[in-house]
Amino acid sequence: MKLIFSFLLILVSFSTFAQSKVTLSGYITDAKNGEAMSEVKVYIPALKLGALSNSYGFYSLTVVPGKYTVEYRSMTYGSEVREVDLTKSTVLTLELGSKVTDKNEVVVNMKKTENVTSTKMGQIELQMDQIKTLPAFMGEVDVIKTIQLLPGVSSVSEGGQGFYVRGGGPDQNLVLLDEGVVYNAAHLFGFFSVFNADAVKSVNLIKGGMPANFGGRMSSVLEVNMNEGNMKKLKVKGGIGAISSRLTIEGPIKKDKGSFIVSARRTYIDVIMKAAISDTSPFAGSSYFFYDFNAKLNYKLSAKDRVYLSGYYGKDVFNFSDKKGGFGANMPWGNGIAAVRWNHLYSDKLFMNLTTTYSDYMFKFGSQQDEFRFELASGIKDVGGKVDFSYFPNPKHRIKWGADYKYHTFTPTSVSAANDTTVFDTGAAQKLYSHEAALYALDEFDLNDKIRLNVGLRYSAFAHVGPFTRYVKGDGISTQDTTIQYHKGDLIKFYNGLEPRISMRWLLPDNSSIKAGYAYNYQYVHLTSLSAVSLPTDIWFPTTDIAKPEKGWQGSVGYFRNFFNDKFESSVEVYYKGMKNLIEFKEGALPGDNVSDNTDNLLVFGQGWAYGVEFFFKKSVGRFTGWVGYTWAKTERKFPDINQGNVYPAKYDRRHDLSLVGTYKLNERWTFSASFIYATGNTLTLPSSWYVQEQNLLFNYGPRNSTRMAPYHRLDLSATLYSKAYKTKTDPATGKEIEVKKRYRSNWAFSIYNVYNRMNPFFLYVDNDGDFLSGNFKLSVKQVSLFPIIPSATWNFEF
Amino acid sequence: MEFRVLIRFVLVSFLFIFVTSCTKEVHIDIPGYKDQLVVDGSIETGQPAIVLLSKSHNVYSATNLQAYLDGFVSGATVIISNGTVTDTLTEICSDNLPPGTEEIAAAFFGLPVDVIVNMHLCAYISLNMVGEVGKTYELKVIYNGVEYTSTTEISQPTPLDSLYWKPEGSFVDRGFSWAKLSDPTASGDAYCWQVKMAGMPNFKKTFNPFFNDKFFNGKSFEFAYENPMSFDDPNIDPAYKGYYKLGDTVILKLSKIGKQEYNFFEKKYNQMYSGGNPFATPTNIPTNIKGGALGIWVGYSPWFDTLVCQ
Repeated sequence: MKLIFSFLLILVSFSTFAQSKVTLSGYITDAKNGEAMSEVKVYIPALKLGALSNSYGFYSLTVVPGKYTVEYRSMTYGSEVREVDLTKSTVLTLELGSKVTDKNEVVVNMKKTENVTSTKMGQIELQMDQIKTLPAFMGEVDVIKTIQLLPGVSSVSEGGQGFYVRGGGPDQNLVLLDEGVVYNAAHLFGFFSVFNADAVKSVNLIKGGMPANFGGRMSSVLEVNMNEGNMKKLKVKGGIGAISSRLTIEGPIKKDKGSFIVSARRTYIDVIMKAAISDTSPFAGSSYFFYDFNAKLNYKLSAKDRVYLSGYYGKDVFNFSDKKGGFGANMPWGNGIAAVRWNHLYSDKLFMNLTTTYSDYMFKFGSQQDEFRFELASGIKDVGGKVDFSYFPNPKHRIKWGADYKYHTFTPTSVSAANDTTVFDTGAAQKLYSHEAALYALDEFDLNDKIRLNVGLRYSAFAHVGPFTRYVKGDGISTQDTTIQYHKGDLIKFYNGLEPRISMRWLLPDNSSIKAGYAYNYQYVHLTSLSAVSLPTDIWFPTTDIAKPEKGWQGSVGYFRNFFNDKFESSVEVYYKGMKNLIEFKEGALPGDNVSDNTDNLLVFGQGWAYGVEFFFKKSVGRFTGWVGYTWAKTERKFPDINQGNVYPAKYDRRHDLSLVGTYKLNERWTFSASFIYATGNTLTLPSSWYVQEQNLLFNYGPRNSTRMAPYHRLDLSATLYSKAYKTKTDPATGKEIEVKKRYRSNWAFSIYNVYNRMNPFFLYVDNDGDFLSGNFKLSVKQVSLFPIIPSATWNFEF
Repeated sequence: MEFRVLIRFVLVSFLFIFVTSCTKEVHIDIPGYKDQLVVDGSIETGQPAIVLLSKSHNVYSATNLQAYLDGFVSGATVIISNGTVTDTLTEICSDNLPPGTEEIAAAFFGLPVDVIVNMHLCAYISLNMVGEVGKTYELKVIYNGVEYTSTTEISQPTPLDSLYWKPEGSFVDRGFSWAKLSDPTASGDAYCWQVKMAGMPNFKKTFNPFFNDKFFNGKSFEFAYENPMSFDDPNIDPAYKGYYKLGDTVILKLSKIGKQEYNFFEKKYNQMYSGGNPFATPTNIPTNIKGGALGIWVGYSPWFDTLVCQ
């Protein structure tokens, strides 16, 4: 604790020499809708100094007094210039894009050189406009499927939402929606993400060199920011797709003061199923659907204060009915997230964001087989708050510090079962309570013209507290099973640690730079899975006296270079990641084993490592944009109690991962896109031998993840046809025909998934068919492929 | 056991996704095959110990009847001991069976009588020892110079409180049979449930025959069980499969088994019922045989009862 305060003092002391300077500060918003614009570069060419606006649109640049030409460079609108008399500190809040008439014009890269000059490594920001033009599976625009196309990011499986970053597990990704933690980012067992594209403003992925203001996960941060709502006028947009429809309404609460947005999406798979299953079918009543709802409200209380309220609620519901078999089941699961944020400007150099968040993820399963009833539930609930300060003492220093706190309530498993009138003893519902807190400070500063450093330190702490029942297993001979009772508030176990973070950029000639980064992370919550793939049944579990915090460190070095006047960006990054206290279920553990027991009694612990090299080449400007990403990587695990203690490949170990993404804007109406991916096949464990016991055929499995599926590759294409943006009208004043922008716009998005109908492996299994006596017994390895070529069309509109 | 319902549901719920899926046979490298001895041995109160020895097969090896039969091992030395008495088991082969034992042997191997009498399939049987309640039995198998050992116990049986039959749903003369069991207070009791119709030579296990007292330790509870024999009888209308009919006489066998042995059977049935399920963790069935063999050495402590369905 003392260390971090000392560190903070050192950072602040850097700023004291800035007394005789003046500050240009303010907010940058989009002229079209009044929404805050982040990552806008505010640059003074005469001084060769610049600053970036933060995620709330705030910027601050302290310079020597004078008259300057100031450039405001954004990805969306290019560059806008203002002449500013900075003889004294000035607040300049401006709207960008007022001169731009059509947002569909060719993208220009006005954040050029940022790729080379910033200290950011392994960090990519994606714009929704770009994501929306890419091919979409079944017409559902999906941010997570898009980030899976980036180097260093792997998908779990065909169509899956889970993603693995640089050899880390899916639970090692911190997924944030407006700063609220999303514990399950998938609908429909992972085929679609919970993020409704119409409600999302931007997506930012940090896969390496995590800055100190983020923590709690070892691999990556995926920040998804919701649209804020149009400050200018009421807008409606929506879409009708193959499996779902969307509707979004946004508008001002008070023009240029506050706005709202509500967005909803629902699938109609259940309607299709109902039509396909007759009322007399034994499966009548079986259905599936998901829906989600986003809402956000923001209001400028004053020039220095602004509040945001964000909410998300989404649910999947699966009903299954087998009347003939007397079996029925219901399985709902989903997330609820709420965040309240308050931005306050203490001065033109000091910005504060105070956030309170609530996250709730739950999974339930209920079934009835004749007179036997069974219910299972699990979930995690967080209530927390965080405060972040950004301090801009001078152009050479960008300082942040803050604190973060969460109170977790975990329900790993709650089970009840009854047969007719007999209620089975399934033990009390287990809940685990814990406090997680962190303090951090970081400074991004220029050591000289060439070298920029981002140095940070994070102190994190975790306390597992009562009430809690610890089941202690005896050996049945000298010791018997027993329990230890902890009462409310009892401290069961406390962990803490320092997490140093540092990244460095060294500018080289020829518009290039070398960057390096190191990050140490603690992770106190873990996702435990009994399944070979990510399912909603996976259990979130905290650190306890038995389950230690996961620890990971990552070092990376990269070479970044832009070509042809920054039309092309490129990078090569090499990384190594070490991980300790990783968690898996014991071999042979079953879902019911944690009834009347603690889940962590079923866990085993080990270590892992990953290393690789990533190549990235991107074209951001012109009619044709896109990127090529290639990753060579290796990821391994070593658990004393798994695979006889031998090293084995992680299930997402992939040697090669290639993605090609391209978008071509033919004209005002047509845009074409294509994406191609190639990946080494996933690993899995298959039976290497069979034997017979009591006339039953049984399997003995080979080493963990020792079998590798065939490579995965796929080409997707899409075309978007926009309605005409303008209509002709006779000017009553002049009698001439003039072009007037249409209020109503629409587009058709056509996609073809898996163009050449590649039967990619989803999973393999050993199939046994026939029987010995009839002589037709056969064992064979079968490959199941999910999706053939799938064309789709979605109609989108806005007015 | 009830969690299999969840597994089943998850499986079924994926069916709709697989409607458009495609399955094809592939040949892919599966490392890790080892030639291992498989021990399938049991001893039951009042019955001799019977041990079958066989070999495991590579998953890509031939899978015809001959390959299966060739897997049985003869020529091993098999010894059991209850602490006071030691018996070296006698190897009895199907082509040289004592008169009147052909049907029992056929059921044991799961092959028709006319097939096994023409085969050289061998089992190891204790002719000088039968199982006794309260005794612990050590097993030693010596094969190809390698020694394999195991231990099992025949504990006190748990009696059934009562039995009854009742018609199911709209049926009048078909229904499940029911039993009431009072589990002893000590935890970890595990059971095997078998049935046969009066007059049948062999018991048959129900679909989910092994269960333990995890959910009902020390409690009394009633449960229904199906008629597994009906699925083997082609003369029974499919609508009546699984039911006992009014007038049936059913003989029940509730056998107590040990914890380790239950662990084997629980994982075995879990593997059998989740075969091919991509969402299940690949699990090897934990053996209680030491020395590198697969399989089980189990002691059964049965309680018998008879129910007339009326």
